[in-house]
Amino acid sequence: MISVSDLSIQIHDKPIIDHVEFTIPRSQITSLIGESGSGKSLTVSAMLGLLPANAKVSGEVLYDGRNLLSESDQVMERIRKKDIFTIFQDAANSFSPSVKMGSQLYAFSGGRVGDAKDVYHMKMHVILESLGLSLGIVEQYPFELSGGMLQRCMIACAFYVEPALLIADEPTSALDMVLQKEFIELVTSLNKERGTTILLITHDLDIVAEAAHTMAVMQRGQVVETGTVEAVFAQPVHAYTKRLLASRF
Amino acid sequence: MKSRKALWFWYSLLGLIVFLTVFSSVLAPFGSNEMNMDEVYSAPSGDHWLGTDHLGRDVFTRLLEGGRVTLAVAGGSVILSLIIGIVYGGISGYLGGVIDTVMMRLLEALITIPSLVIILAFQVFMQGGMWSMALIIGLTGWLVTARIVRSEFIRLKEAEFVKMAKMFGTPVWKILWGHLLRNSVPAIFVITLFNFAAAIFTEVSLSFLGIGIPPAIPSWGNMLYYAQNDILIGAWWIALFPGIMIFMTILSINFIGEAWKDPERRRVND
Repeated sequence: MISVSDLSIQIHDKPIIDHVEFTIPRSQITSLIGESGSGKSLTVSAMLGLLPANAKVSGEVLYDGRNLLSESDQVMERIRKKDIFTIFQDAANSFSPSVKMGSQLYAFSGGRVGDAKDVYHMKMHVILESLGLSLGIVEQYPFELSGGMLQRCMIACAFYVEPALLIADEPTSALDMVLQKEFIELVTSLNKERGTTILLITHDLDIVAEAAHTMAVMQRGQVVETGTVEAVFAQPVHAYTKRLLASRF
Repeated sequence: MKSRKALWFWYSLLGLIVFLTVFSSVLAPFGSNEMNMDEVYSAPSGDHWLGTDHLGRDVFTRLLEGGRVTLAVAGGSVILSLIIGIVYGGISGYLGGVIDTVMMRLLEALITIPSLVIILAFQVFMQGGMWSMALIIGLTGWLVTARIVRSEFIRLKEAEFVKMAKMFGTPVWKILWGHLLRNSVPAIFVITLFNFAAAIFTEVSLSFLGIGIPPAIPSWGNMLYYAQNDILIGAWWIALFPGIMIFMTILSINFIGEAWKDPERRRVND
């Protein structure tokens, strides 16, 4: 569905991303894996058209036949609003601490796709219940909820928006093992039930093994290996991938 | 638990002072400039609870009226410095880069000059009433506020909820107002409280030196200024009561500010 080809990014004439190529097949979970600083998040920023002003970018990000790198700001804004949903690393920081959950959930879900409040309430209540969240949380502030609950609220918004592509940027690194597992189950169920394409960015191979269908390994701004998870796990080609696999518990 | 009780004491004390001064026109038993030459320097008594001064004016009345002037000057100046500080710090913190650097160097240059010196210079050509006093204190008091706002904005603009808001095209003013400023309120509130105490102190010091509020308007600082001579002839009550009021006001504001600095204590219901 999305294919990134020959993507290079320079900041202050220093190459950060170097001729990156990978594809995200429709209705599959693709994992982008690599150590911190390998350029995973910057690649995602480029896909979303959210690069810092001093970054120079070249190459192509094809989404449904359109190159996202050359689209106008208005088009990108609409795509970011309706087609792509992003979940960040730290759910606790994804919500403004001084605003009650109710209005924030609306802003992240109903508000962005343009639903009226009553439509939103009906739809959201069902989703919250199916995720095991009590309806009382809408009257609470983010700091009154746990990290796992907040991450589930984010997932609830993703369920609501039903984006074509869900990008999860290190979604589990702030969660403990139990919650990580629970989160991965939710993500895979979103993929199975609704066919949502998911890009899972992580540095945790266990999560890749658990959830993803295909994977791309990044190191120092380059994609060093791509393929299905089974193939890469069975026969890693690149030295870095071998090292990653060897360092698994 | 003990500190909570102490905090309520300071809240009530400040509340009482504010109440007394705000309703001074109703509560005061005499007119603030009502002179009575038959009762010059009379010690505290049933008639004049806190005595009278060298013109036979009731000290209690002037204490309340003076408090209103002092608190109004401090309040006005704090509002002014708050606005300037938020705008300056907000621009600097949100835009960042070269603009931020230039604005901060300028701010640091201004901070190195003791504000009292700037205030004195202003007073030379702005000798006026209480509102010009508020203007001057406000114009010199925004520096620390601007710094705090800037650092809060820098911290918050990188927060993930701001990134998310930007991602789906929230207008800049909404991000500034609803996300950045809204979440900076606790820090801004604390610094504003301390600014308020500092503004009271500045007004009092200037008036005490005789270059603040004009003599016709009573203020705590003015009362102390005139009390300098009265102390020599033993009229201690003229200086003592404004002194106590200034002391208690600044002290309670500082204690309240200290308590609010600690986020654990901000929540009342736990």
